[in-house]
Amino acid sequence: MEPVASMQVSVTVNGDVYGREVEARRLLVHFIRDDLGLTGTHIGCDTGNCGACTVILDGVAVKSCMLLAVQADGASIETVESLATGDGELHPLQQAFSAHHALQCGYCTPGMLMSAKHLLDHNAEPTENEIRRAIQGNICRCTGYVNIVEAIAAAAKGEVSA
Amino acid sequence: MTTTAPEKVEAPEKGFAGESIPRKEDKRLVQGQGVFVDDVRRHEVGYVHFVRSPYAHAAIANIDVSEALALDGVYGALIGEEVAALTDPFFQLSVPPGSEIKDYALAVGKVRHLGDPVAAVAARTRELARDAAELVEVEYEALPVVVDPEHALDPDAAILHDEAGSNVVWSGEFDWGDFDAALEEADHVVRIERLHFDRFSSTPLEMSGAMVEYDRGTGQWTIHANNQFPGFAIIMMGPALRTGMDKLRFVSQDIGGGFGNKICTHPQLVALCLLARKLNRPVQWTEWRTDQHTANSHGNERVFLDIEVPVKSDGTMLGFRCKAIDDCGAYSRYEPLGCIIWAQVTPGMYRWRNVHIDFTQVCTNKSPCGPNRGYSRMQHLWFTERVIDIVAHELELEPVEVRKLNYIKSEEMPYETPNGCVYDSGDYARCLDIALELVGYSSLEEKRRNAESRGKLLGVGIGSTLDSGTNNFGQSQLLNPDLQFSGNNEVASVKLDIFGEVVVTLGTTPQGQSHETVASQIVADILGVTPDDVHVRAGHDSYWNTHAGFSGTYASQFAVTGLGAVKGATELLADQIRRLAAVILGADGPDEIELGGGFARRRDNPEAALPFLACGAIVNANNAGLPEELDDVTLNCRYVYKPPFQVPDKERKFGNLTLTYAMQIHVCVLEVDPETGVYEIVDYSAVDDCGNRIHPQIVEGQVHGAVAHGLGAAVFETFTYDEDGTLLTSNFYDYHVPHALDMPPLRTDAIESPSPFTSLGTKGMGEGGGAGIHAVCAAIQDALRSAGNAIVTDSHNPYHRVWELLRNPEASRALVRVEAQ
Amino acid sequence: MLLSEVGYARPSSVDEAVRLLAENDGARPLAGGQTIVNVMKARAAAPDVLVDLADLAELRTIAVSDEGALELGALATYSELITSAEVKETRPIVAEVAAQIADVQVRNRGTVGGNVCSNDPTNHLPPVFVAVGAAMTIVGADGERTVPAEEFFLGVYMTAAGPGELLTKVVVPPAGESRDGFSAVTIGADGTCIVSAAATVTGDQARIVLGCVAATPVLLTAAADAEAVREAVRGAELDPPSDVHGPAEYRRQLAEVVAARAVAAAGEGH
Repeated sequence: MEPVASMQVSVTVNGDVYGREVEARRLLVHFIRDDLGLTGTHIGCDTGNCGACTVILDGVAVKSCMLLAVQADGASIETVESLATGDGELHPLQQAFSAHHALQCGYCTPGMLMSAKHLLDHNAEPTENEIRRAIQGNICRCTGYVNIVEAIAAAAKGEVSA
Repeated sequence: MTTTAPEKVEAPEKGFAGESIPRKEDKRLVQGQGVFVDDVRRHEVGYVHFVRSPYAHAAIANIDVSEALALDGVYGALIGEEVAALTDPFFQLSVPPGSEIKDYALAVGKVRHLGDPVAAVAARTRELARDAAELVEVEYEALPVVVDPEHALDPDAAILHDEAGSNVVWSGEFDWGDFDAALEEADHVVRIERLHFDRFSSTPLEMSGAMVEYDRGTGQWTIHANNQFPGFAIIMMGPALRTGMDKLRFVSQDIGGGFGNKICTHPQLVALCLLARKLNRPVQWTEWRTDQHTANSHGNERVFLDIEVPVKSDGTMLGFRCKAIDDCGAYSRYEPLGCIIWAQVTPGMYRWRNVHIDFTQVCTNKSPCGPNRGYSRMQHLWFTERVIDIVAHELELEPVEVRKLNYIKSEEMPYETPNGCVYDSGDYARCLDIALELVGYSSLEEKRRNAESRGKLLGVGIGSTLDSGTNNFGQSQLLNPDLQFSGNNEVASVKLDIFGEVVVTLGTTPQGQSHETVASQIVADILGVTPDDVHVRAGHDSYWNTHAGFSGTYASQFAVTGLGAVKGATELLADQIRRLAAVILGADGPDEIELGGGFARRRDNPEAALPFLACGAIVNANNAGLPEELDDVTLNCRYVYKPPFQVPDKERKFGNLTLTYAMQIHVCVLEVDPETGVYEIVDYSAVDDCGNRIHPQIVEGQVHGAVAHGLGAAVFETFTYDEDGTLLTSNFYDYHVPHALDMPPLRTDAIESPSPFTSLGTKGMGEGGGAGIHAVCAAIQDALRSAGNAIVTDSHNPYHRVWELLRNPEASRALVRVEAQ
Repeated sequence: MLLSEVGYARPSSVDEAVRLLAENDGARPLAGGQTIVNVMKARAAAPDVLVDLADLAELRTIAVSDEGALELGALATYSELITSAEVKETRPIVAEVAAQIADVQVRNRGTVGGNVCSNDPTNHLPPVFVAVGAAMTIVGADGERTVPAEEFFLGVYMTAAGPGELLTKVVVPPAGESRDGFSAVTIGADGTCIVSAAATVTGDQARIVLGCVAATPVLLTAAADAEAVREAVRGAELDPPSDVHGPAEYRRQLAEVVAARAVAAAGEGH
């Protein structure tokens, strides 16, 4: 085996398998946004702090700006586009976010939703502190997190309208 | 003389206004279907990377782009020399010497701050553009650096703009009332040597960016950008590009936060316009986070010196006198407007009548400033809050009583300030009581003892602030009498489409303020439909021709200007519908027609009804035989909201500068660890009053966000430079912003004091006024009372600064003196 | 920002990984990527080749040896440390500190090996491993060797695992009679450390390791009482960096405080 500057990858995103030739240096977030056209996942910083790029990769929440696309070869990824059903019915988290005004500009929201989904997939009854820890890696500059925490708590309890 | 006559206030009828309805924006945003600028795609795009100066101040000896151009996949480049040949420098708002500043889209001849762009390269991919940028060779000759605004005027300080010959951007004196008489009347004078408001910004999560296309056949640029004040951008860019304003079409749909930091991107946009034209392809740029921190738009830094406060023994303050030095960074782009905008709130929330300020704005080798959330009023209100807090502290007066003694009272509203601004309404004392109650202020001493038992110092601080909204741009003439800007405006249009669909177009550029939703509430109530029946176009497009010179979303004004335009346009439409229906239904006149449920019906015979579908169809597609009197019924109504302003008196610098005054009062309870200076906010309340609230949940969301920004600036966020002009906080590691675990428990409440000056009784309220900063400063000072009694003189108090105040209280105490008169 | 061109390889064995590292000048291992990808985005460093360790399952294990030592595979993530029963039972301080690192997303990817080998002076795990007397196993072309933690950290971003070598595991001795503690002052909750201290107390003696105050963790010993600890810190004549988060004098003072608090925390359990 020798190092390669680019290679063919096969990545499953939201249930669909994509085969693409990518440069080794391409960040996963750019692969998702530019190569696959899934622009729901966002970029907010240069240093992996803001979490706007959060996706779920092989079942765990990760920041896709700190992964290379080639590292995702063979992996299964969920992005915000996977949350609503094919018929357009919103995921309980999406409904709760809207009901509780947990988004203003909406830029951090996809990453926030994926972190929240990861939390609820692993912890059905999170405390407030656990909710805050779950979204600690997601910066929001609009909401002060107040309504986001409320929305996640409501979704956990199955209460999706305000 | 400026007067503001109260309009007939229409309290929102029972209807959708006042209800927290579901947001229209949410459906697309929660699904990641928003269209932010980096989501805009075109074929054959040239991705742009700016080459930026690593020096804070240097002459550009040479730029060589040949190696960059030779890289396969690179489409072209742009350098300062070209920009200087193809464009004129940006219009300067100031008078000499500031007016002599030459500001271009790229640095010409010299660089003046770290990150100042000297070249732009465009390439087939983002990565290639980045690679090509590294191949651009720039030779710099370093120059001495100026980072301290207090020394920018020293005779030996390096001059940033040779054409200006000075680092002064603007200077002037403000004098109202009779300060000398106030000194005589006072029982004490409290002298504060120095107060410093630190540099930070709101750092919206989405960076600035644009996709720019140029149509050679028509000379038309289409600029998909997240600029939040296209009116200002066009006024700056048109003359610079030597083109007509209409040739600059601005389009945006979703913007990921603005907070004023997306106003001054016109230099980058001009560079992109030139590249799009030169390369004959669309060009795309998305700013990097590092670039946003080093080179986009910081909040103004301001130093207040030699402050004198005449006070009566009972704590009544008579005014203040001081010098203020404002640091606007390397270029004056929205400046020097910051030199007057603070005057919207000259006495803060207080009945102080005698004010004298010597105000100077200087440029330094730091990032240029832009109107960051709270712009200029926040800096000044922090000053007034520090003053009242320090005076109360030093005279050992009760902080709550002193504030209430000095607060303007609700029965005095509307209140004319010493410089002729009119505060419309408000009940500050009542809001303070509510805020104190929310944190259990009455049990303060018990809380203090409890904290003490755990080795902590407890402090409580009040931060009261105003959010003045709807500017009178005539205030610019107080800085430069030759400027031709005054008043304000915003535009909306509302129409019935062919099948009766209600379509609303706004002139604003929301970045999360829920304009689609709130506009639909107003329209629904006037037309008698539901918000779901109202389609509000998402975003902004100058081709919609629904904008005017001041269109955009900034300065806490949508609920007044935007909604004023929406209301005006909808009332015009409603009137036209009634006129049409009256004729068709054979009623005596339009007053006999009422609108409800999507129908226009006769009051005397509700069965005689015309659905909106029919109205739209008749006018748009079936108009033969309609009487002449209905010729002007187009069912497409455009309205320009214009607030009732006069040009202020330039001699006395006197007049009404803003239409509405929302307010927030915050109370902060924190505990300081005396060994480390680390402090934790254990309780926090925020009470707001923005007049009639069209959507209370949205208003509260804005308050939450304002708290977070205030706390961030108070505890964590600073744009600090070393003496070489290197920014030490260029990423989110070092520039820490509040994350979810950093937020304190937050209790909010609101009252409504309707504005007598607006058509809906609303007041703009988005910015907030920085109360978090004021409250934290007061709380720290309170906590340290029993441990050295230091005085807080900086807006930004990271742990190490609190530790220093504990360790060396004398240094800060030496800055304050109380003299008997 | 964006990376320079780079070569990429994903070996399926440790031997192959070591070969790739040795044969390619400027090759670096890629573990969780939470540090190196950022460094490459900023173009502060530009390795020519990244050797992705993701398929090396044998480096991901967490086990307890026959002697009761905790063997942490270099690719164990912080999240795996936190949920590991072995860590909890053998040396819980490792999980307690890992839980303070950044956020969930970083913890899902960041690894023991990455935290230790990048040796940013503000990293959490180096002081902990020095305090507990861990040992690092390094594999290179010449085979395997063990380096005690005290000797592993050589300078900022420099460790005993040199070019062409791979850290494969960190072995943490069983606590026995010792108890561990950790204290830090950070930039915001779970943020970057401004000053940190790990302490291991055995009987009435304390082993204290300070982070953020020098290029490498600073090891001190003292009697396990607050005054002795503080005096030991003063005696170390630290020369910490000054930066926007505090002047040198602040870090020097904080070091005394967090050292005493780490020792006190050790006294309270673990």
